[in-house]
Amino acid sequence: MKLTPNLHYRAKRVPGIVGTSFVLSVLLAAGMANAELEDLSENELSEIDGAGIGVVLEDFKFSHGTDVPDADGNQARIFKIGGLRSTDGRDVEIVVNHLYISGNGSNYGQNLSPVNLGRLVNPYRIDVVDGNNIGIRDKAVLEFAAPALVDVTQGYDCMNSGALAGSGVCSSRPATADFMGERPDVGMQMNVAVGDDRSANINIHAKSAVIDGSYLRLWGDDDRRQMVGQFKLNFHTPELSINACSQDGLSCGSRITMTNFALELAIGNQLQPVFFDVDGTGNFVVEVAAIDKPAPGAIGADGLRGSSNAETWDFYEDYYTNPDYRSNLHIGNFSVGDRDFGSARVEGMLIQHLDIRTRDLAP
Amino acid sequence: MNRRYCQAVLATLLLLAVNQAAGELDRLNDQDLSEVSGQGGIYLSGDISINEMGGPIENSYFGRCDDPDKKCGARLAYRLKEGGGWMVLDEIKGDFAFEGLTLRVRSIDSGFGGDGEQFNGDVMEIGLPDTVRFNDVRFRIAGSNTFRPTDPGFQQTDIFAVEMQGEVIMEGNLLVFPTGNP
Repeated sequence: MKLTPNLHYRAKRVPGIVGTSFVLSVLLAAGMANAELEDLSENELSEIDGAGIGVVLEDFKFSHGTDVPDADGNQARIFKIGGLRSTDGRDVEIVVNHLYISGNGSNYGQNLSPVNLGRLVNPYRIDVVDGNNIGIRDKAVLEFAAPALVDVTQGYDCMNSGALAGSGVCSSRPATADFMGERPDVGMQMNVAVGDDRSANINIHAKSAVIDGSYLRLWGDDDRRQMVGQFKLNFHTPELSINACSQDGLSCGSRITMTNFALELAIGNQLQPVFFDVDGTGNFVVEVAAIDKPAPGAIGADGLRGSSNAETWDFYEDYYTNPDYRSNLHIGNFSVGDRDFGSARVEGMLIQHLDIRTRDLAP
Repeated sequence: MNRRYCQAVLATLLLLAVNQAAGELDRLNDQDLSEVSGQGGIYLSGDISINEMGGPIENSYFGRCDDPDKKCGARLAYRLKEGGGWMVLDEIKGDFAFEGLTLRVRSIDSGFGGDGEQFNGDVMEIGLPDTVRFNDVRFRIAGSNTFRPTDPGFQQTDIFAVEMQGEVIMEGNLLVFPTGNP
């Protein structure tokens, strides 16, 4: 049994006068700052809010993949996801040929360029928020959030990669001639091998992608003594494409193109959070509990508020009508090669019960 | 006698020097102070290895990475429910190397498509090294019924495993700053 991690860390610091002069200036500043300290009034103090951490990536570019082996079978770069198994017991290995995050106009990951992720005035946030403000009563909630949606007068259309200010609710801006914008091209080219069958080469690319308004919220449930969460994904892209290529990537089949693709996925909400657990056999469990039925007689026979318990009726009215609890999928146009299949919409999906459990296929 | 004379001169000189130095200390006014800033930053190159080879000794007593009764790599376990199973990040091993990670405080008042002017504040800037070299970095995500793999009744289901090797392109700056109304 050897569990202790071996941590080696070497760091070099550029030497110089930097350190000394910094200490001196801090000392001088401290002396001066004393005189500048003033009491805060009650009124000012009430405005103070716990600050979270904002994160922005500037001029960001990411790329990794797997190289074709050289004559000796060596590969300079490898990126694999394994440990999966098909239902008939064969090992599944995903070889990621290319995973990229790039600026606009990357031509499916061919020409990588930098992009900003998040805005200084509306960044990605990691924050502990007061649950009472977001409908989760008396809880401190850990929130990881993408840039928040903004008022339509200030925002940009989430889909249009040529959108101008005041055209929509997304905060991230599309690229223009003189600014790289905050909407990256993202894509993944992978080879899915099931056993010895390496024929499936699948590529997924999204242009000018926006995930504004997405978040993951985590907190603890007192009754079940368990970690619970709420996940919202808002994903918009003017073009999401999927195609399959031969293993060397030279000849590709028809491209499935979904234009103006919008996915608004809500898993868990204030009334039905998602429960996470690992069961006694080591399998991962994700569960959304069904909502309780009303007590007999609490909702009147005609279903109207007047004949029902008002509080109960309001609760179910909110549950059935609140658009925040529902998932939507819009595809502007679905095409395969040069054939158009028109647009598709799935709207108002409400997850009423979900129980996902991983199962070990190992013999 | 001569020696005493020397000491007296030295002492006088020291006193004078001290006086002189005291005379040079001036309070900075607000204008001058506003121009004082912590300059520079930190430049890091690093090589982090997490149980890459299973430690300095590999033998039948201390164990080998290919020994089924022993384990190599770090394990991080997180319990999601009281009395429930554990979510684990297991068999973390490998070696990351990077050259030129920079760390500094940066004042932003322009750029960013007009946001800089509006933001007008300081951020902590982590300059990403253009490439990070991964040497046989592996980890797996799994669900397990016990915290340690040696505990009685241990059962584990691997959800997936990741393996990375070679140079990863990671360019840009990570800017970190407080949000809200500090």
